[in-house]
Amino acid sequence: MNYLKEVLSSRELLANLTLREIRGKYKRTIFGQLWSLANPLALMLIYTIVFAFILRVEPEPGDPSGLNVFAVWLLCGLLPWTFFANVITSGANSLIANAGLIQKVAFSRIVLPLSLVGSSIYNWLFEMGVLLVVLLIIGSFVLPWIPLLLVIMLLLAVFGAGIALMLAIANVYFRDTQWFLGIILQMWLYLTPIIYPASLVTDQSNRIGGLFGTDITVEFIYNLNPMTHFVEVFRQLLYDNRWPDLSEWATCSIWALVSLLIGIIVFRSNEKKLAEAL
Amino acid sequence: MNDVAVRVDHVSKSFRMYHERNQTLKATIMRGRRSVHEDFWALDDVNFDVPTGSTFGLIGSNGSGKSTLLKCLANIYKPNKGSISHFGSIAAMLEVGSGFHSELSGRDNIYLNGSILGMSKKEVDRKYDEIVDFSGVEAFIDQPVKNYSSGMYVRLGFAVAINVDPDILVVDEVLAVGDAEFQAKCMQKFTDFRNAGKTVILVTHDMGTVSKMCDNVAWLSHGKLVEVGPAEPTIQAYLDTVNPGA
Repeated sequence: MNYLKEVLSSRELLANLTLREIRGKYKRTIFGQLWSLANPLALMLIYTIVFAFILRVEPEPGDPSGLNVFAVWLLCGLLPWTFFANVITSGANSLIANAGLIQKVAFSRIVLPLSLVGSSIYNWLFEMGVLLVVLLIIGSFVLPWIPLLLVIMLLLAVFGAGIALMLAIANVYFRDTQWFLGIILQMWLYLTPIIYPASLVTDQSNRIGGLFGTDITVEFIYNLNPMTHFVEVFRQLLYDNRWPDLSEWATCSIWALVSLLIGIIVFRSNEKKLAEAL
Repeated sequence: MNDVAVRVDHVSKSFRMYHERNQTLKATIMRGRRSVHEDFWALDDVNFDVPTGSTFGLIGSNGSGKSTLLKCLANIYKPNKGSISHFGSIAAMLEVGSGFHSELSGRDNIYLNGSILGMSKKEVDRKYDEIVDFSGVEAFIDQPVKNYSSGMYVRLGFAVAINVDPDILVVDEVLAVGDAEFQAKCMQKFTDFRNAGKTVILVTHDMGTVSKMCDNVAWLSHGKLVEVGPAEPTIQAYLDTVNPGA
């Protein structure tokens, strides 16, 4: 509780550091905030050409929305993913990047990774805003789902923040973390139904059946990945315009809370040692 | 009012000197969790009180533990043994311009730096004019600080830090910045500070500054407290060991 009070009392610092990231990030660029869209759009172009045109992945049309545009279907999962990847990569580097500050000033260290979560949220809101406009143009009835969309966005941000806190500490002790993370994120992207629909995995899983004579199926293992559930919820809200299962909400909420809790515990127990360890 | 501002109570601080440090996962896995190290005691059972309303100097040769003690006072390091208690708010100035972002304007950086040092937005609003005035960079306040001369940069940082206005101020050797005129201004600020009944703890190698400003002095050598007491005799004793012939 005391810790919560300490963090709350540094919310102004958190706001200022977040602003520093936001204002500093696209300074002296011609396109400014538009750069935030560049990466997801480039990925969209590549994946659409490779997976929709060459490999012919065909996700089901949105039910009940009836949408059938691969690029938009892709973006509904890709934007949350790139946000998540940004949060944990920048969060993992946040303490090392501010080593000078940590060694010279006493303040609540947790604001450093959190400020990067904050600035990533800002960029993400902008990207999601653009996506919403596109969805409206192609006829998705998305407006009533916006409140729920905000809830799942918050849950994903909490989930990412927890992981970022753990990685930030791990990276102080083992600089391998940041390099590992690049590889892990690549694998994780393909283990999540972002570029292909999860139904393809279900089909394979049913074909193979229980692994090694047990009841454990490929699908069961696949579903252990929390991002699978987050992406499903995003797609059902944005692309299908459908109320996601309560169990999906529950899974996402539990992952988010557990991640944040462990993140805070790990961070807190190492916070005081940072100035020496860096 | 308490007559002790800061109580340094049998403080010891050690650092690990690693012979072979596990800074990569490979090293950790190959060797198990153990890394080979030796403890180096940067501070060994240091014990003194700083009286309220005085200016207190820390002196000693390089590597005597002054900076470590300063960082313990600033709550950046945690002592292994003993404790430091302070009566009244404490602020440390170990560096000027902490957290400045070079692309942001002087104005934005005042707010940013202020909040890093623990000021609320309201406080910065209230002291804004004073900060800008003290720094003497009014004309460039809306320019990005990367275009500032190094003197302007430091002056702006110092102006924010000195306006945090704590009861106890801990200062590293950041005084030796800026031109003579700015240094005189800084000295004046410290004098004002003391006249207002506040406590200053100062680390410097410049014995002229120490004898001019400090009432009491603690002399550290190799992490141990050699002597603590009124400024003049302690400084003299320290200088005698440095230049035994003189």
